[in-house]
Amino acid sequence: MNKELEHKFISEFQEHQKIIHKVCRIYTNNQEAHNDLFQEITIQLWKAYSKFRGDSKLSTWMYRIGLNTAITLYRKSKRTIKTQDFDTVLHRIKSTEYDNTEEEQLKLMYKAIHQLSDIDKGLIFLYLEDKNYKEISETLGISEVNARVKMNRIKTRLKTILNP
Amino acid sequence: MDELELLKKDWKKQDASYPKLSYNEIYKLIHKKSSSIVKWILIICIVELLFWSALNLLIPEKYLEIYDKFNLRTFLYVTQAIHYSIVFIFIYLFYKNYKAISVIETTNKLMQKIIKTRKTVNYYVYYNIALYFLLSVVVNAIMFSHPETMIEALDPNNEIKMSGDKFLTIMLISQIVAFIVVIGLLLVYYRIIYGILLKRLSKNYKELETLEF
Repeated sequence: MNKELEHKFISEFQEHQKIIHKVCRIYTNNQEAHNDLFQEITIQLWKAYSKFRGDSKLSTWMYRIGLNTAITLYRKSKRTIKTQDFDTVLHRIKSTEYDNTEEEQLKLMYKAIHQLSDIDKGLIFLYLEDKNYKEISETLGISEVNARVKMNRIKTRLKTILNP
Repeated sequence: MDELELLKKDWKKQDASYPKLSYNEIYKLIHKKSSSIVKWILIICIVELLFWSALNLLIPEKYLEIYDKFNLRTFLYVTQAIHYSIVFIFIYLFYKNYKAISVIETTNKLMQKIIKTRKTVNYYVYYNIALYFLLSVVVNAIMFSHPETMIEALDPNNEIKMSGDKFLTIMLISQIVAFIVVIGLLLVYYRIIYGILLKRLSKNYKELETLEF
């Protein structure tokens, strides 16, 4: 693949790389795994880039390839590195806006998300990214109705975890 | 505030906290090797295709002489010709399915295509096992219907001091045992391969499928 394409890809990727970090945030819970998945998604994006026509936004592609890699292509490494979990480290920005209960709730919620199935993680990720049901159904390849039903189930599940 | 709204708000706040990789770092990343399961499936499938084809070629010529004694040479050549045409069809189908795998499809389609590719090779292996089984049944049936010729072919100098009946029984039993051992090993092998590579994929695929029906 030529240098020009490579340059174009890297520049565009740099702009949107946040999306990939966010996919890794949902699917992994330590830094090593995060980096590993980030690398695999980046490689998959680059491999597919020559087919990118520009008729859709690159960011749309990144959501799709990111999730496809996380759900389907990526092989979790066997190495279980005992690094601190994001949940305990709190990758998030500590903010005075949150009171203690909210802080605690969020912690529980991120923990609950990490326990969801791969597919459910994908749904909640797209929900957090403000994607509508049409986009969710088009990304995962399920019907809009099913996306809605499944999302409601996940929401109820997360809520019951917080209010048992 | 609704818990999910709180989560969403927090999620958006995190945006600024993600690391930003530099041009050079990304450059290095895209030159690394992928370790996706599609790549592993490709490697394993090619090895399997080669293994089963090679098995045929590895049979020493001397062993084939026995076929002459039973006038089975033509039978052997015909079956081999058919066999290689079928192998060719399998390789073509595998290549076609493999090429159709695309990471830009929907998650559902992507999984479907990976499973389809893998299945092609599975059918190839089943075909081979069936073929070996069928051929041994046919060849054995012919040989056992001419026991004298068979004993003479396998033991030309009469080195094995054993009655004809006993010899035939031992031959039959050892063939059955060998067949069972081979099948057992294959089952173990597939459990491992599926366990390592496809368990998560199948589970996720099933989850999407049950959603659809």
